Amino acid sequence: MSKTYMVAQREFVENMRTKTFWIGVLAAPVGIILVYGLMFLLAGKTDLRRYAILDKTENQWFSSAVHEERSENEFGEILGLVNASEADQKAFAERLQASIEKLAEDHPIRRLIRDFENQGLLEDLAKVDGDRSKLPAAVRAKLLKITTAWGLKLMMDEKDRNLALQFAGGLSVKDYIDIQFEAVGEDPEQELNKMLRDDKIFAYFVVEDPFGDKKSKYVSNNFTDSKLRNHYSKHATAVIRSRHVERLRQEKDLSRQDIADINAGFRIDKKQISASGEEKEVEIKDASRSFAPLVFVYALWIAVVMMTQMLLTNTVEEKSNRIIEVLLSSVSPSELMNGKIFGIAFTGFTILGSWSLFLIAGIKLAPKLLPGQAASQFGALGLDQIVQDPLYLASFLGYFIAGYLFYAAVLVAIGSVCSSLKESQNLQQPVMFALFVPFVTMFPIMQDPNGTLAKVITYIPLYTPFAMMNRAGGPPPAWEYVASTALIVVSIWLAFRGAAKVFRVGVLMTGKPPKIREILKWMRTPTR
Amino acid sequence: MALQTSPATSSYTDALVLKDVTKRFGDFVAVDNLSLNIPKGSIYGFLGPNGAGKTTTIRMVMSIFYPDEGEISVLGHPNAESVKDRLGYLPEEKGLYKKMKTAEIVAYFGKLKGMDRSTANLKAREMLTQYGLGDWLDKKCETMSKGMGQKVQLLGTMIHEPELVILDEPFSGLDPVNMEVMRDTIRSFKQDNRTVIFSTHVMAQAEELCDYIFLINKGKKVLDGPLREIKTTGDHSVKIDYDGDDSVLHQLSGVTRVNDAGKSAEVFLDSTRDPQDVLAELVGKITIRKFDLSEPSLHEVFLRAVGGDSDE
Repeated sequence: MSKTYMVAQREFVENMRTKTFWIGVLAAPVGIILVYGLMFLLAGKTDLRRYAILDKTENQWFSSAVHEERSENEFGEILGLVNASEADQKAFAERLQASIEKLAEDHPIRRLIRDFENQGLLEDLAKVDGDRSKLPAAVRAKLLKITTAWGLKLMMDEKDRNLALQFAGGLSVKDYIDIQFEAVGEDPEQELNKMLRDDKIFAYFVVEDPFGDKKSKYVSNNFTDSKLRNHYSKHATAVIRSRHVERLRQEKDLSRQDIADINAGFRIDKKQISASGEEKEVEIKDASRSFAPLVFVYALWIAVVMMTQMLLTNTVEEKSNRIIEVLLSSVSPSELMNGKIFGIAFTGFTILGSWSLFLIAGIKLAPKLLPGQAASQFGALGLDQIVQDPLYLASFLGYFIAGYLFYAAVLVAIGSVCSSLKESQNLQQPVMFALFVPFVTMFPIMQDPNGTLAKVITYIPLYTPFAMMNRAGGPPPAWEYVASTALIVVSIWLAFRGAAKVFRVGVLMTGKPPKIREILKWMRTPTR
Repeated sequence: MALQTSPATSSYTDALVLKDVTKRFGDFVAVDNLSLNIPKGSIYGFLGPNGAGKTTTIRMVMSIFYPDEGEISVLGHPNAESVKDRLGYLPEEKGLYKKMKTAEIVAYFGKLKGMDRSTANLKAREMLTQYGLGDWLDKKCETMSKGMGQKVQLLGTMIHEPELVILDEPFSGLDPVNMEVMRDTIRSFKQDNRTVIFSTHVMAQAEELCDYIFLINKGKKVLDGPLREIKTTGDHSVKIDYDGDDSVLHQLSGVTRVNDAGKSAEVFLDSTRDPQDVLAELVGKITIRKFDLSEPSLHEVFLRAVGGDSDE
């Protein structure tokens, strides 16, 4: 049995007996259970912003128009979904059917769906084989009208909100709901102010003359969150614009096409290039594939900080404890150093391994444990595919070990020249400072995995493992994998050699820690 | 794996040979051109004031430091690295893993010296029990008293039955009971034909135990050789226990030096002076309770050799 192994084994067994170790191991399952528990509790309960409209226009035509516009817009999207593909269409129809069966016979939605059926629209849809653009304009208009009316009903009533959300998660009722405020009494604003103070509403709008010079009013106590204001303004603007356009159409005799042209916006279809060079649709799981590296970079960062701290503390303690010299009569300094590095590595990787196991189990079990909608959202992330991709995981594991070994060598050398923890804290500051860089560059590199910043950071040995993990979403070309691997192997070798030299001298030193210049001198002296 | 060699079958005659060994730390010469032969089976004392170079010499022997010049042969091998498992070393600054159990740590030291797991575990428990720590086998080191800790450290040094044991200041900080344990242990090594080197700056300890001594000061060897020879060379002295005016002692003729402690004194005579005349001269001037003709103490040898340089 090699002495390095014996030293490593002792470190591991010793660490395993500490409370910290078991807290570390249990942190992951407890964390995952907490997160799932929260997801379970909060499923569907997004932070809902309630708002009121005090509409002083005649018969409140303006707010009705805004609702209608929004409904047409959002449910038009659903109509697009209906036509997206056969499978989606079928799934949607099934969801629709299941939900509708639960409703009372005279529920407005049932009536609207019956309209849908009575007018033969479903057959029309089937005829065009899913391509909505092939629908005759009249059918399309009718379809939109019914859907809009149906949507409006859902959007207007808080009771039906959850029903609406079952059809489409992207509806604005997910985040905002109009409380259908009805102005009674002398001073309705007084009443609204009271509701605002009592936190019954998040904000209210006062609309008097949307076409005149007088501005409408937005009253809230929270001006950091402007999303509700933007959301309402967007639809209100659309209403105002369409009224102006309608007026122009009559005055200037514009065709419907002219109006469509005026309203046309800039439309984007998101695509990406697959590994085989083909253009393909961007899916949510692709996004999570480029976000996953962040998780790994973060994990490496935590691991490096956690494990090297253990190593540093352990070395300094052993040194101040005077046991080092006894050990050195049995093992060589490099055996002792390597034993420590590997012993702590076993400890750290055991903790991380347990985390990974729980995480993988969590990802696998999530669809079974989470309530309906949350499960399908979770599934769309495609995390289970990442978990199943061995090459992807192996590259992370490799860079992970490399990153740890490099920093371990540096920190053990620092630990060896310090006589107290306080000294070591001062000396390790530059290393901790250097470790901020991967943290800061994490997002920019993720956004541009093959950009200049990513490439520069890759070839600084301190950051190679971080950068290469970070860039996995790219992914970088094969030669970069080869070059960075070669670089990191050489760097680790050099770091271990240098650290062994510093360790051999440093570990028996007492008193003031040496100057950097002295340490560099030790590293230059040849080993015997 | 059992020990490769037993002391009886080893073929070397000197357990340790140093030849012209020099070690420098920057401009400071810690050990200067030192040569020594340490015969197998002897108890060898390294004497010298603090900072004389004892620990540096020992660390070079253990291959913890390397000499800048000169050669060291340990158990017939060019350096300690190849025979580390046959050496036992107790440094001056010694420690234990606080969280490890007593029996575990002793066994761990044994394992690091190449003993197999089960032998080391068994032997550790056996030795601890033998040394009166049977109740502490499964207790953590941090719960033990300092004296117990020192015993555990000593056992860690000897569990693998080393041929050469090097103890750096083994007596420092020991209470009288543990000092006796240490002395007995050192003597038992000799009985097993093992070689023991220990360093000390307390002469009485060396005088009691050593076959050979080596005296070092400021990195240079002052003298070395069998203890008996060293003590019989040099001037003879008388030990006098007395009451009365001590100035009488200093006024004696033919006296080279007086170590006066007030009620007892060591008086060194030049070679022509007869101790009987000294006794006659003193009678009537002071009350003599004891008059003892003796060899010079090692303490005197030490002081003479080191002169006023010692910081003792």
